[in-house]
Amino acid sequence: MSGDEASVRAIDSLSAIVPSLARTTPSTLLTNPEIYSQISTLLRNPNSGAGDNNLCRWLYDTFQSGVADLQLLVLRFLPVIGGVYLSRVADRKPQAGFEAVLLALYAHETTSRGGQPLSVTIPDLTSPSIYHDAKGAPNKSGTPEVAVVSPALEPHGTVRSTRRARIVGVALELFYAKIWQMPVASKIEFCKFCRTWAGQDGEMYRKTEGGEKEVEGRVPLPWELLQPVIRILGHCLLGPNNRDVELFDAASEACRCLFARTMHDVNPKAILPIRSLMTLSNNLMDKTQLDPTELPFTDVISL
Amino acid sequence: MLCACSGEQFKFEEAPQSPDSLATRDFSASGLSSRTGDWESKFDETQVEDVESTLKEALSLNYEEARALLGRLEYQRGNFDASLQVFEGIDIRALIPRMIRAIAERTKQRKPRSKTDNVLLNVMSMHSVSLLLEAILLKSKSLEELGRYTEAAKECRIIVDTVESALPSGMPEGIGEDCKLQEMFHKALELLPNLWIKAGFLDEAVTAYRRALVKPWNLEPQRLACVQKDLATTLLYGGVEVNLPSQLKVKGLTTPMSGTEEAILLLLILSGKMALQEIDWDPEIMDHLTFSLSITGMFESLADNVEKILPGVYDRAERWYFLALCYSAAGHHEVALNLLRKACGSSEAKHRPHFPSFLFGAKLCSLHPNHTHEGIKFSQEVIDLSKNKNEHFLGHGKKFLGICHGAAARISVLDSERIVFQRESLNFLNDAAALTGNNDPEVLFSLGLENAIQRNLNAAYDSIMMYSDMMAGSSKRGWQLLTLIVSAQQRFKDAETIVDFALDEVGSVDQLELLRLKAVLQITQQQPKQAIETYRILLAVIEAKKEHWLEDKTFRHQALAEQKLEMEAWQDLATIYADLSSFLDAKACVDKAQLIEFFSPRSWHITGLLFEAQSLHKEAFVSFTVSLSIEPDYIPSIISTAKLLLELGKQSLPIARSFLMNALRLEPTNHDAWFNLGLVSKMEGSLQQAADCFQAAYELKLSAPVQKFE
Repeated sequence: MSGDEASVRAIDSLSAIVPSLARTTPSTLLTNPEIYSQISTLLRNPNSGAGDNNLCRWLYDTFQSGVADLQLLVLRFLPVIGGVYLSRVADRKPQAGFEAVLLALYAHETTSRGGQPLSVTIPDLTSPSIYHDAKGAPNKSGTPEVAVVSPALEPHGTVRSTRRARIVGVALELFYAKIWQMPVASKIEFCKFCRTWAGQDGEMYRKTEGGEKEVEGRVPLPWELLQPVIRILGHCLLGPNNRDVELFDAASEACRCLFARTMHDVNPKAILPIRSLMTLSNNLMDKTQLDPTELPFTDVISL
Repeated sequence: MLCACSGEQFKFEEAPQSPDSLATRDFSASGLSSRTGDWESKFDETQVEDVESTLKEALSLNYEEARALLGRLEYQRGNFDASLQVFEGIDIRALIPRMIRAIAERTKQRKPRSKTDNVLLNVMSMHSVSLLLEAILLKSKSLEELGRYTEAAKECRIIVDTVESALPSGMPEGIGEDCKLQEMFHKALELLPNLWIKAGFLDEAVTAYRRALVKPWNLEPQRLACVQKDLATTLLYGGVEVNLPSQLKVKGLTTPMSGTEEAILLLLILSGKMALQEIDWDPEIMDHLTFSLSITGMFESLADNVEKILPGVYDRAERWYFLALCYSAAGHHEVALNLLRKACGSSEAKHRPHFPSFLFGAKLCSLHPNHTHEGIKFSQEVIDLSKNKNEHFLGHGKKFLGICHGAAARISVLDSERIVFQRESLNFLNDAAALTGNNDPEVLFSLGLENAIQRNLNAAYDSIMMYSDMMAGSSKRGWQLLTLIVSAQQRFKDAETIVDFALDEVGSVDQLELLRLKAVLQITQQQPKQAIETYRILLAVIEAKKEHWLEDKTFRHQALAEQKLEMEAWQDLATIYADLSSFLDAKACVDKAQLIEFFSPRSWHITGLLFEAQSLHKEAFVSFTVSLSIEPDYIPSIISTAKLLLELGKQSLPIARSFLMNALRLEPTNHDAWFNLGLVSKMEGSLQQAADCFQAAYELKLSAPVQKFE
């Protein structure tokens, strides 16, 4: 079916679920902020993830329609869906609705990657590139080294508990691939959920001394989940949108909490990037809040 | 002549470039009169038509130039609307071809040539060109100030387009001394991408950055580095993929395939420049490099780059900690530990202790049993340091201390020491659990494991159940340990149920170990047929995976683990067939196992058992000896040797006893060894001792798991 027909059908079925959105037209489907806030609120209802939930059904059908714009619309809600889903896993609530949407996103990525892993070639500075001339003898080692960023995906029909992190992680990778087209509200939601998932209070890393408190809702964070999370956070903190004050604050808070969490888990793979993000975002904050009459703050006395 | 819009003096900051261009005249009122004499002399020297055409051009140029100068004035005063109006009066489109020609011609003239000055009558002077370029630049800046970013960017792009068409192979040296052309152009190169970013067109910004970088434009090294850094950050954090245009994909040059690769390439170039001190140290470049290399998993490259940083930038403990993180993330734990020893060692004793290094050291030691004593020292430091400032980490210190004590117990030689370590280990782990409020899954797992090894099965069961709940069933090792604990409680049916459940929850990658566990459970429950079936499935799965991992270097570690599992499967099958007395089948299985690894102590041990079953004692001895020569501490072979010695009569009893005591020293909970020790004692006549040994054997067998806990 064509894009317009699909949009009209989507709106019709949406208005059956959320009557107040009956006035939307296909052209405003993507830009209407009401849609975002209404659906977001509904997704946070206590039983929103159940298998028979209409909203989840709508999201699933809309994504499966294959129309790029509609898929982007569903993708916007990924932070809320992923966040609520992971937070409720420990309570053993049935969440077949959420799982269906996540699996749809995962399946989409599996097909589009065609069984290949996502990899990056390590640049060899001894051979010249468009940005530099090579100095020194070239490395005649033959095959270039390749680092795998995201291993090849195996298809999954259900969400098994040991594969849960990978499935949500891949959905987040898809979110990151389209992040340029995601609204700021979606990114702010993401940062807030990061804070909950970290389960630590980052107060002690905010340049002032403070106690470390536990925050509810911590979630196991293996690397397959953390890696896309850190990339999205990098975009929120240092990408072109970071002039939005609300987004920057939410992202800084999330960064601090995740840093506290990685220091708690002593996970070197995660400590390295998050530490860098913290330093970079603190630099940005200092640049905007620089008060030249302030005395420099340091807790080291040099003699 | 045209000074007159506001009647003020217009002074030029630089000397006029070519004397015959009338546009370079000084427009001051006083200057005008002084020039009139020269003006008339010019008319006398050259042809009238030439002068006419020159005047026409000169007049029209001067009109544009005047507007340019006026606009500049308005801009400097801050009247952006007014300056914009003035600038819009200049018809740039018409002038562009002439500007291009002028730049091309005038820069060619850099080669020493005589008598060609007067050919360039119809060509604009470099001064006019740079004035016009400045006008466009200021127009663009005015638009920027007014918030009209897209138009500003388009205007700015005109400058870049113009100069690039005139000088397609880059800017020649020495052009900057005489006119402001190069300066204007550089400013335009730097401004254009920023405008595009403000306008929200990231792809255009990336294209603009690339244009600035790909050809040599004589930018100063620091400014060039700045542009490279901005491009790298835009590519890395912007979230937009902008493919390289095909003209940049030149053969022989490495071309990046994605935005991340391009960003990493630029950051590596920049860090190379910093290492050679071609540009100043910028910590942000290091941070961006750390981020990009970590995200793509290239930790070894990151370690290389950190090593290249000049001394004095980081203080020592910071540098060693940073390197330790990189090496550990790349999998080189020994190297990391070495660095952490330095960071926590005597050379840093005069400085404030670097807490993260101690914490990391404690963690690394806890993961590797051969560093337990060092781990104990690190953990003790962590606890001491936490008491002052970081109370939160006190629980961690106790946890690592507990784990290290447990490992120390297992490698200790003295029985008395072993008991102390075991007790301390449980104490510390229980403390850690209390301090973290039972919220730390690692503590719960370690507590469960330690209790299981010490055969406190109920406590172990509780801990592991809590761990599994907390991880919501997503941890394979949780399932494995739970199964083993339940099997140790002799609830084999339940254990098999748990394994089946776990097999459902686990993806195909991790299923292999669980399948083997299931098969071992079936053997224990005297169901050899089912066990053989399970092994068949296991071997089929491994076979299917072989095609994948032989080519893929990145999963070599996993491939080796799977190979080991295959060998173990064949060995298990050999024991099943041996028990069923089908010796030929058993031998075939052992041969298969030995194809994978000839020097496996277990394969030789099974061969020995087969010989023993066929009453070929000498050959059995030889096999057990071979097994022990490969691994002197291989307990099953020690016990089997002792058993064989028992049959040889009274004079070999002391040797048998010493073998068995050796086995017990290594593993005090081995019920087989106790049983045979009991037999030895009985044959020696110490019946009380024999009874004690049999009692010990019985009790230990009641709580023995089907596979070792660790």
